[in-house]
Amino acid sequence: MLKIKKLSAKIGDKQILKNVNIELPAGKCLLVTGQNGAGKSTLLHAIMGRSDIKTTGTISLEKTALHKLECHERAQAGVFLAHQAPPTIDGVNTMTLFKEVQKAQSLDITTGDLIKKVKALTEDFALPTDWSKRSFNSGASGGERKKGELMQAKVLLDKTKLLLLDEPDSGLEQSSRKKIVKLINDTCNAGGSVMLVTHDKELQKLYQDNKLDLSNVE
Amino acid sequence: MSNNVRVYSNFENVDFWCNPSSLDAVEDFTFIFIQTEGKCTANINVNPNANSKSKVHVYIYAEGSAEVDCVCTLNVDKQNSGVNTDIQFRSWPFDRSKIKARPEMFISNSDIIATHGNALGGLRPEEEYYLSSRGIDNFKEAIKQSLLSYA
Repeated sequence: MLKIKKLSAKIGDKQILKNVNIELPAGKCLLVTGQNGAGKSTLLHAIMGRSDIKTTGTISLEKTALHKLECHERAQAGVFLAHQAPPTIDGVNTMTLFKEVQKAQSLDITTGDLIKKVKALTEDFALPTDWSKRSFNSGASGGERKKGELMQAKVLLDKTKLLLLDEPDSGLEQSSRKKIVKLINDTCNAGGSVMLVTHDKELQKLYQDNKLDLSNVE
Repeated sequence: MSNNVRVYSNFENVDFWCNPSSLDAVEDFTFIFIQTEGKCTANINVNPNANSKSKVHVYIYAEGSAEVDCVCTLNVDKQNSGVNTDIQFRSWPFDRSKIKARPEMFISNSDIIATHGNALGGLRPEEEYYLSSRGIDNFKEAIKQSLLSYA
């Protein structure tokens, strides 16, 4: 269960969120909507713990007080953010990133199995065959970056208690939408919760029963 | 795309000459220096053939009180028209280490394309945030392991 109480968030002097309250049970997906600038992405980054977002209020995931933790500790506690615009990290190759994540998050998988899993997912997502050997996101298109995020979410599925998806569909071909839906369903079925920010009407339709419209939050 | 990767860990002196000759695909040359102690002086000389296309990547990691002084020199003679070469440095000096990274170009022909870039410093804030969001807080180790993985 994710519980957010009276969450306000500022970036610099700009107030982005004010008094947001959310209760999201395990196994459920919350659709987050709102106009541009309403604070949808800021909400996800505030939960993840981006350091330039100053927050007040509380964020709890099960018994963990996330708001008291650093960003990397929140990730280790089971929060996964699929970034809207993941950066290129020159010099850090993709497979090493996976191995460092394996170490940092004490994943219950051997390095050999991790390599096999990444290889299989690279094929499944139709990413270039040398994907895992490249510097992270080097030469990647917007769609390939998004696929890379979904791939990581799949690898960390067993560990994820809260999946934050920030416009996972943008830049992706139509057929990949099914992969997003499957990821959401798999996460929920494994007892995790999902927060989804999307402008995709089809995806919105699927999850509109449980919706937070940030345009209506004061 | 071909790729020639060379990793130098705690070397004192490195001298390397490469002659890009590929006319079709871009020929990649990657040089990685991982210095955890002492001083390394490196000279990379790039002498491309006419009409060749190449990219040279130089990654330098230094920690502790290690020092790296690296020059990558592009030489294009008068007769070598049509050369297209890009040299890119990325260096991470951690702790008290020092890195000097210098791309140099000696060009005697106006019918070529030669570009270079040189980035030196820690990770950018968005890179650090990204790695943190994956549970990683030891950025230095992540970079070091990544560069070692080329070996």
